[in-house]
Amino acid sequence: MASVKENEPPTATPQEENGTPKTLKSIAFAKKTPPPEKAESVRLRAFVILSFWAVVIFLGLPTWWITTSIYRADLPLQEMMEWADGKACRPVFPLQILIETPSLAEADAQHLLRTTQHALDDLNEFSAHHLRLSLTQDSLSSPPASDSDNLTENDSQTTNEGEGDVALLIRLLQGEAGSSPRAELQPDSPTLDVYYTNNQIPPTSSSSSPLASFIADTLQNIFAEEQATIAYMLSANSGISAGAPASAANSPHSQFGSATSREQRPSLIRSLSPNLTANIERRSTRSFKSSPTYHLTLSLFSPNSVPSSWDIEAALEEYLSPLLEALDPLSNFTIDTQVQLYASFSPSVQEPRFDAELGAWTLRREDLSGFINAAEWPLSPSIGTGPTVNFILYVPAEDKAPLVVGNNGASSWLIPQWGGVSILNPPTANTSRPRIPEHLTKEDLRPALAVFSHQLLSLLGSPQSPSSLPLRLLTMTRVQTASLIFSASSTLGALARLTQALPSIAIPETVASSVESTITHLNNACDDLREGRFRGALQHGRIAEAEAERGFFEKSMVGQVYFPDEHKVAVYLPLLGPVGVPLIMGALKELKRVLRQRRQRQTI
Amino acid sequence: MRLLLTLFGLLLYLALASAEHTSNWAVLVCTSRFWFNYRHLANVLSLYRTVKRLGIPDSQIILMLPDDMACNPRNAFPGTVYNNADRALDLYGDNIEVDYRGYEVTVENFIRLLTDRVGEEMPRSKRLLTDDRSNILVYMTGHGGNEFLKFQDAEEISAFDLADAFEQMWEKKRYHEMLFMIDTCQANTMYSKIYSPNIISTGSSEIDQSSYSHHADNDVGVAVIDRYTYYNLDFLETHVREPSSKMTLGDLFDSYDEAKIHSHPGIRLVMDFFGNVQNVEVENGAFWPDDLPDLASRYWHIYTRVLSLHFSKNRNTEKETRSSHGKN
Repeated sequence: MASVKENEPPTATPQEENGTPKTLKSIAFAKKTPPPEKAESVRLRAFVILSFWAVVIFLGLPTWWITTSIYRADLPLQEMMEWADGKACRPVFPLQILIETPSLAEADAQHLLRTTQHALDDLNEFSAHHLRLSLTQDSLSSPPASDSDNLTENDSQTTNEGEGDVALLIRLLQGEAGSSPRAELQPDSPTLDVYYTNNQIPPTSSSSSPLASFIADTLQNIFAEEQATIAYMLSANSGISAGAPASAANSPHSQFGSATSREQRPSLIRSLSPNLTANIERRSTRSFKSSPTYHLTLSLFSPNSVPSSWDIEAALEEYLSPLLEALDPLSNFTIDTQVQLYASFSPSVQEPRFDAELGAWTLRREDLSGFINAAEWPLSPSIGTGPTVNFILYVPAEDKAPLVVGNNGASSWLIPQWGGVSILNPPTANTSRPRIPEHLTKEDLRPALAVFSHQLLSLLGSPQSPSSLPLRLLTMTRVQTASLIFSASSTLGALARLTQALPSIAIPETVASSVESTITHLNNACDDLREGRFRGALQHGRIAEAEAERGFFEKSMVGQVYFPDEHKVAVYLPLLGPVGVPLIMGALKELKRVLRQRRQRQTI
Repeated sequence: MRLLLTLFGLLLYLALASAEHTSNWAVLVCTSRFWFNYRHLANVLSLYRTVKRLGIPDSQIILMLPDDMACNPRNAFPGTVYNNADRALDLYGDNIEVDYRGYEVTVENFIRLLTDRVGEEMPRSKRLLTDDRSNILVYMTGHGGNEFLKFQDAEEISAFDLADAFEQMWEKKRYHEMLFMIDTCQANTMYSKIYSPNIISTGSSEIDQSSYSHHADNDVGVAVIDRYTYYNLDFLETHVREPSSKMTLGDLFDSYDEAKIHSHPGIRLVMDFFGNVQNVEVENGAFWPDDLPDLASRYWHIYTRVLSLHFSKNRNTEKETRSSHGKN
């Protein structure tokens, strides 16, 4: 203030300049000074100020620190990233294949086994998925097995502790003389019958034989699709870090990850035919994520009042239950059914048109995606945990029957990751005009349920080959295991990257324990795979996946704590202003006094 | 050369892999309450009606409404909400499903919804159960400013929080593609901090620009819709009439006219987000063999016997834990 006054032009208020300051000064001099402070009160004041500071420093600051710091449990970030990059475990799928040679000498059988194994190894380009042949131990002693009792006996004897699941049983059977070797896949058990003649058995001296290469070819064909699927998944998932560019830049390790997987990739991708790749791609789009439980909802929709009842329980028992039981090792299923009458189409979908050529009412193919009137048909999937698979049986009105899809006359279609629709057209054989029955019997429902069974298999990700259902189920076990391991690994990676990227998110102890348990189960799953115990691997994969999800979706990890700097100032200023100013001013004043005192003492 | 081929193969593969999505979801959020904010609720309800018309089922629409205009005592037309002075279309209708209402509409709940960090008690209808095959439309409207959007007079979400939430979704593969649409003042600042891939953003106005309402209904007494939303709806209602529409997002963005909207909308395929997508696979009737049930039942007998011996150890424990598939 003083300097400002000095700068003022002296001409502004000359009178005051000359007069007032003097009087003020004289008044100031005349003013009575307060009585000198007692030394005791000075000391007291110093103590008061000190104690305030002590409270602030020893109580206030720690309290502030404790209440505002974020608890972050230690996570094994390095290990998590290794899993995500596919470096911690390279899943391998050694498939054990048993050969039963009831009518061969042991030496011959061993030799055949060796040459076949050689032929197989030559055919296989993909090291992670390979077939291991072995003889059933008592193939010599047991009589020619043709019924399933023997089959189970043999298996039980050969399966020892620590040995893996048997993927396929080959039975070498005597065929009629003079014919070339012939293979037949049993539709209802994982068994391949190979018919041969005695002269096709390779002599012990030769290193290759037509029979061996025939068996190798057949096996390779059977497992081609599975191999392709797994190769595809491996290559897709070794690029996890490539899919998240931001994170790849963050961690230098992912560079190594992609470098190692790059060696694998070319051979894998190139060995797949584009057709097969497209098939696998479609299947992965179509199928649900692996889950321990699926809810099946079967709904009967009809545009008017008939049919008002259906024999669904009996039909399910007879036509669907066997399949569900067969799928039992993979997942559990719950079933709900409903009947919805007077279900109308959505107004944005064109009404079906009559096609004289087909003699049927047709739906446009592009309208199929709007066939389900999502706004009005009650298909809300709010049943517990796990995905709901919807199956819709639509019975058209009598004047709109038969109803088919325009271009190919089909009456059913599949909606990826949602379910299937089947139109039930009444038989028109003997009556000119179709009549919709009031009650659908078990027999009426049979074709629809057959369609639903196939759709269910499709939706669960079953491969199209081989033709044998049990083999397909075993393939599904392995493929699902792989997908669970990849999914859990990628979740671990995501969690690790988030932990690094968002320092403001709290990480409670439960997340750390979930991560730990995920890694344990992933390791177990990986070990099980290596030793060929695929069902055990699936169980471990399931648990690992669930734990990883639980860790990632921990409820208390909500990143709603970003504060820009101006917000922080705005929060702390009102607090620090009134408290901080007196504190600091008091401390300064006291310091000044102490310094002055010391100087005075020195001068004296 | 080898490397090039490899890279090409990888690119081709990635292109194939990211080609398709199987479900569409919509998150429609209004963030303001009180009668004079009637238009914000009308904005959201209009969008709700549109996506529903184009086929997204209610189970895949998350609707957040902080206030109930239909039952507001100042509403001259009780039980209805209109987005136009002609009052031709009642947005409330008889079939709307509000997932988060009143004071449930908070920043925390919104972020929990996006990141799915919810408790066990949360019903499935209030969760965003998306995966890497889902496209999501996120529409927000309310009062906002530079890099924030106010939630209900009490709190605000910042552009940074939103960006972090989207990043968490991307990391966990919770979306395939996302369309982020926002109608508020200085809306374009809200998406300026987003750093995750596969998000298309569009907003009503630039920084330091207000977003305006379109017109008021004198009988209702307040503005009924915002300009930006109005012209979006105008496009969707007149050009995208059915689920098989082939209009693209580019067409939608091209339709934006600054002279009409009175602010500069920002942009960073329409049915990919607004409608229901189902790439159905039509089956030929003859394709399915009819024998699967028989086959399965025959197989089951053999399989159980094989398994019971094979996995006798595993199986015993499993049988106890396994719940039989019930029918109800």
